[in-house]
Amino acid sequence: MISKNKIKQKGQIYLMLSPNLILFFTLSVYPIIWVIRFMFYQYGGPGTGEPIFIGLDNFRRIFTKDPIFWKSVINTLVYAGGKILLVLPLAFFAAMMLTKKNLKGVGAFRAILFMPTILSSAVMALVFYLLFNAYNGEINKYLMTLNIIDQPINWLSAKNAMKVIVITSVWGGIGNYMIYFIAGLQGISNEVYESADIEGANFTQKLFCITIPMLGPVLKMIMMIAIVTAFQDMSSIMVMTEGGPINSTMVMFLYAYQFFFPISPGSLVSTQFGYGASVSFVSACIVGIITIAFLRFSRKLDEIY
Amino acid sequence: MERFYMEKAFVTILKVLSWLLLISLFVFTLYPVIYTLLGSLKTNAELTLGKSILPEDPQWVNYIKAFKDANFFQYGLNSLIVSSATMAIAVLTSSLSGYVLARYKFAGKKLMLSTYQAMMFVTIGPVALYPIMNMLSKIGMEKSMLSLILVLTGGQITNVFLVMGFVQRLPRELDEAATIDGCSIFRVYGQIILPLTKPILGVVALFTFRNTWNDYITSLILTMSNRKLTTLTVAVVQLKYSVWAAAEWHIMLAGASLAIIPVLSVYIFTNKQFMSGLMEGAVKG
Repeated sequence: MISKNKIKQKGQIYLMLSPNLILFFTLSVYPIIWVIRFMFYQYGGPGTGEPIFIGLDNFRRIFTKDPIFWKSVINTLVYAGGKILLVLPLAFFAAMMLTKKNLKGVGAFRAILFMPTILSSAVMALVFYLLFNAYNGEINKYLMTLNIIDQPINWLSAKNAMKVIVITSVWGGIGNYMIYFIAGLQGISNEVYESADIEGANFTQKLFCITIPMLGPVLKMIMMIAIVTAFQDMSSIMVMTEGGPINSTMVMFLYAYQFFFPISPGSLVSTQFGYGASVSFVSACIVGIITIAFLRFSRKLDEIY
Repeated sequence: MERFYMEKAFVTILKVLSWLLLISLFVFTLYPVIYTLLGSLKTNAELTLGKSILPEDPQWVNYIKAFKDANFFQYGLNSLIVSSATMAIAVLTSSLSGYVLARYKFAGKKLMLSTYQAMMFVTIGPVALYPIMNMLSKIGMEKSMLSLILVLTGGQITNVFLVMGFVQRLPRELDEAATIDGCSIFRVYGQIILPLTKPILGVVALFTFRNTWNDYITSLILTMSNRKLTTLTVAVVQLKYSVWAAAEWHIMLAGASLAIIPVLSVYIFTNKQFMSGLMEGAVKG
């Protein structure tokens, strides 16, 4: 009798897990298996003939004959580096300012800084695209009214576009990381600061000897999230510059994407599914390597403290 | 004595500077949104040539144009249906999995947990949408709204872990007693776990709704073969590629406002839940 119940229970367990498991396998696992299979093929898509097995040729092409891919890797590093170096200090600063006990309306201030997080990055990228427009954009209008520049700056040129992309992503990212930092700061007990005050520690001493070391584990997690997210960002780039001009804002995953889908309705796609699969595989590996390297590095930091 | 005054002056300057920086952060954060909302009421000429941030004479006609000519009513409705359905399915499936993982032992549990954990760090980007689309068209579902909803729901690793963590922190006695009394797992889930996990399910619902409403790439690709399903976010961004884009900034901003106003109004009432939900994930995740 008991065993019968047990079997029934097992059945129910798997039944309850199944909706999520099915979604997980078809939407998360299956595409990866597909990519791993097709990265060994030359395949132009339906109607272009059967996929041809070509072994490691796609990888040979990536590592020896594809400067645009490597440019996109550099761009991704520049983008992620720029975003993280601006977002994290600003978010930390905002969190420090907005955890003060005696500050009235703290909730509303936090809510304002967190607001960009709830808005569509694609829609807001369109707005930033208009703001930074060379001829009619508000930014140039302000700079010219204030006599800072006499000629409109072409913000979305090959030289400047990446800066604008980073600014847009910083705008969208501060609130999120501010909340993570606030969560971390609230975890540090007040007594520590009180005893430091009694000892006569000043602000900088408290910051470097209490706040930052005690944030340790949270800080590690925040940086981890920041890295993984920044390497994946692409929808705002897609909307603002489509990776251009002349690939100056092309990032890895956008580069892989354009072998499958058009970046904008007008743009041409040369569907190369096999090659695209290997590009996305290599990109995924690069993100993986950087994540693991960061984890190793942060473990070293733990040992020092 | 002199040193004391210098230190005091230094601290004051630092305080003033940090407040200035904080205020500039507020301006930086608010400006693009205010520009969008106010700009949606300007004429195109005012937007491109005018200098004032306020509209001269509010052009409500922009919204009428967006609704009528650009078909935004339909797209808004699509967004609302798709986001609500995705939210419901996400809450249901992640809570089922999260509960079972938190409370029961079963063959393959370790494998499942470690696969989910590993997949949090594996990303191949939106390229994944190609095999998914391919599979959907093989079974003739590439044009259905259900496909869009299910793909947007996705594997939900984070949500499953959020619910799992929450259930693990509930006292076991609450549901164990019911199980011993002979309640089926389904009943324990429906009558005990669901009501108790409301706070975390609210977080899952809120974040799923936001992600779905705001999503661009997945929705773009899944609606390519059936334009009738186009969501608001996709429709707004596509205005950039319309032939009249240069002359239609006012319609673009009216569209952008339509896309952000619903989320903003929800946010006014739920910002605390949004922020505490994120903290929940940050501290315990």
